[in-house]
Amino acid sequence: MLEEQEDPVKSERLVNYGLWLRQRPVMLGLFLVLAIILFLITSELARVYGAQREALGTRWFSRGVAELNGKKYDAAVTDFRAALLYSRDNYTYQLNLAEALIGAKRTGQASAYLLNLRDREPEDGLVNLELARIASAQGQVQQAVRYYHDAVYAAWSSDEEWKRRDARLELIELLLGTKAEAQAQAELIALAANVGDDPAEQEQIGSLFLRAEDYEHALNAFRIALKSDRRNPAAIAGAGEAAFKLGRYPLAQHYLQMALAANPNDQESANRLKTTEMVLHMDPFRRQITRAERNAAVVQAFSAAGQRLTSCAMPNSVSPGPAGAQQTLSDQWAALKPRITEQDLQQHPDLVEPAMELVFQIERQASIVCGTPSGTDLALLLIARLDEGNQ
Amino acid sequence: MALPANPETETLTGNGQRLHANSWRPEHSPRDLWRAVFREDRFFLVLSVFIGVFSGLAVVCFRFAIDWSRLYLLGTGVQLTRARLLLAPTLAGLVIAVLVMRFFPTTRGSGVNQTKAALYIYNGSIPIRTAIGKFITSALAIGSGHSLGPEDPSLQIGACLASVMGRKMHLSRDRMRLIAPVGAAAGLAAAFNAPISAVLFVIEEVIGRWTAGILGSVVLSAVSSVVVMRWFLGSESLFRIPVVEIRRPSELIAYAALGVVGGLASVTFSSGIATLRPRCKALPRWTQYFQPAVAGLLIGIIAVLGAPQVMGAGYEYIDQAMHGQFTWEFMAILAGLKILATLLSFVSGTPGGMFAPTLFIGAMLGAAVGGAEHYFLPHLTISAGTYALVGMGVLFAGFLRAPMTSVFMVLEVSGNYSIIVPVIIANTFAYVISRGLQPIPLFDMLTRQDGLELPSMEEQREEGVLHVEDAMQRVKGPVLDAEKPLAEALREAERTEFQHLLVRMSPSGWSSVSKQELLELASKDKGTASLGSLLGSELVPNLHPDHPLETALRYVERWPVIPVVSRADFRELEGVISQRDVLERYREFGEG
Repeated sequence: MLEEQEDPVKSERLVNYGLWLRQRPVMLGLFLVLAIILFLITSELARVYGAQREALGTRWFSRGVAELNGKKYDAAVTDFRAALLYSRDNYTYQLNLAEALIGAKRTGQASAYLLNLRDREPEDGLVNLELARIASAQGQVQQAVRYYHDAVYAAWSSDEEWKRRDARLELIELLLGTKAEAQAQAELIALAANVGDDPAEQEQIGSLFLRAEDYEHALNAFRIALKSDRRNPAAIAGAGEAAFKLGRYPLAQHYLQMALAANPNDQESANRLKTTEMVLHMDPFRRQITRAERNAAVVQAFSAAGQRLTSCAMPNSVSPGPAGAQQTLSDQWAALKPRITEQDLQQHPDLVEPAMELVFQIERQASIVCGTPSGTDLALLLIARLDEGNQ
Repeated sequence: MALPANPETETLTGNGQRLHANSWRPEHSPRDLWRAVFREDRFFLVLSVFIGVFSGLAVVCFRFAIDWSRLYLLGTGVQLTRARLLLAPTLAGLVIAVLVMRFFPTTRGSGVNQTKAALYIYNGSIPIRTAIGKFITSALAIGSGHSLGPEDPSLQIGACLASVMGRKMHLSRDRMRLIAPVGAAAGLAAAFNAPISAVLFVIEEVIGRWTAGILGSVVLSAVSSVVVMRWFLGSESLFRIPVVEIRRPSELIAYAALGVVGGLASVTFSSGIATLRPRCKALPRWTQYFQPAVAGLLIGIIAVLGAPQVMGAGYEYIDQAMHGQFTWEFMAILAGLKILATLLSFVSGTPGGMFAPTLFIGAMLGAAVGGAEHYFLPHLTISAGTYALVGMGVLFAGFLRAPMTSVFMVLEVSGNYSIIVPVIIANTFAYVISRGLQPIPLFDMLTRQDGLELPSMEEQREEGVLHVEDAMQRVKGPVLDAEKPLAEALREAERTEFQHLLVRMSPSGWSSVSKQELLELASKDKGTASLGSLLGSELVPNLHPDHPLETALRYVERWPVIPVVSRADFRELEGVISQRDVLERYREFGEG
């Protein structure tokens, strides 16, 4: 009986409770609580998920690095790709994948990755350097130069500063390879300014200056290199060559003799020394020689020029005569020949100048028609240039 | 004088002022404010935010589930073993079939049509079991390598959660119907990380109309779900967007070519579904236990033969295609194989979405067409990434037949407005070709195959709308002037055969009067009084020629003749319209 009396009250309470629960504000509150709980659960799941992906990414990346170090590029590509599945935008993973792709000769794909990285960090030196290498390999010189410049002026960390120098060296090599000597010289001057007195580096710079045909800077670089290492055979030979190209033959003779002493097998230096000595010996305008010696040199040069005329056929080779008439070099030589003897020269020293002028003309013309000469003719050509420079 | 929006709550006074039945009252007291917040229309907006939050959380967990399925079923690397490639989708297919057949029969297919069915058939009701089943079976299917995507299931999960919340809140039937699309937008937005595209898709393909009442809720839910998703998974898009470059206008021709190819591919794809799906469904019931497994095995064989990229959603490969990681020949093959793999997965009844495969096929096809054009026409400065992006939109327009969404999706994903012209050109070509060769859109085709008759959004979009100008008649009778005396008005009325005459009120507005009323007024000896002073204060609403004809329906029963006036000058009469005119026009429209 009591239970029967209590039941309606209880059920009424339950109904009220149900109605209260069904009220929108209450339901909204419940949703809010539920959302917070689900948010916390999802946060925990996300933490586990993120940690797992990070671990997987790291694992595949480590494998990739090992494969890359072992030069197994294809396997490295696969591993880095797997690593990127778990961290798609990871910069290091992408950079390593690009390097692996370059190793696997898939430069097109590597380039795509590198360009993406460059978009993200335009000042990344390594990315620009790799892009420059790819562009260079594909013969896209302008792009390569642009990327090399970006690599050179990129933000390298202090322990990677040597990479900036390497990037510039590669750029110089590219410019020299494409006959852009003037640009190469500019880069070399900038490089030389940032390099200390390290003999190896200075020797390398000197060699590059030689290739860029900037002999003055080359000689300077080799001299700096020789300050630290006086017996560096490459630097001595380089200095000799630079001095030779500059027409400073006594200095060239000095360095080339040193080079041969340091390395008797250096054939190039030997040839250059031989030519240098011939220049020094055959130059009738050199200082501190007697008139007899000068006359003998002129006679020898004139005779050599005549032989050169015989050996190198120069059809229609003409030269303006003293009266403006057109005469062939052979005619001129033949006309002057009887008078170019040591006795005549002794009596008429004013013949030295026209005789040597004709010799220089013959040698210059012959070098154009028949190519660079050797031996005596080369020496005479160099003397001609020297004379031209002096004038 | 503008048209009253709602004649039941709004009336016009003689001087043209509107009177509202439910006049606005300031809500000052806390109780009033409390009530105002929980008034259904406002409460619906608050609820939309909650729907977005719950959908976002569900989609985040769904993505975790897919990734975990992939890790444990297929492995962690990119070079998968043959055994896993063959066994994972096959065995998962068996499990999925059992789950679908025994426990979750409503989870088959993509989920878009089920959401539409909830809106149009089931008053917004979707059982919670559908969400659970969709979550489990789709995660298993996509993770094991079936060629399906997570977006449509996310859409359905969102719709289902919204439906459950709406039921708990005891929303009215109207609101309940609309709540599934609100959740659908939230689910899709979170899955796709693109709220604008999600809102547009739901408006374009599920609801089919723009109304202010639903738009706010859909936007709120989509945005809140994306916020939740980004909270957990970051804001990075599904694929890295390449630099978009269009240097010459002549390149647009190349994009038109992509539109043509995309249109034909869309037709091939949808024709495959149209042909194979009914046949698979017609097979004996016991075969449905094995259909997903057979599909999985065949996809595994495709993967073993050298195209594992076709497995799963394939977003990482879309990313690679955009960044020039594949040759154009290989991408063309991948596009073809993906169509095949998706057909197999979808027609076998495996739960999963069509969005991701559509994007995959579009991206591969786009990049392949771009690559081929660049190969044969090297002077075109085409980037594979731009073509892949445009290609995704092309398939979206051609295959899913959502032209608006297809344009905005590419814009939203790329964040680059310079791509809009190529996208519009290519999408238009694809849409027109697909529309011409495959008259029934994919989603309509699927509903009809399932024995349902849902409204076709494409037909609705293309359906003609009748306007007042289509039914109005020239003014044949006299128009009375309210300033003139009654006697003069009566004389004018007696000269015409028409029983009802319009009266031009002063200074503005229109009224009407019948001959009988004029005679009655005259019999009361009021012949010298002006007509306007004798008429009541209630005015006849006026219409404009561009008003929809259904607007006229609201008034023609009450007033025998309604003035149609110029928008520039409300006193200038362009015509009149009556109930008979409206009904006659509708009858003609229905006949033909």
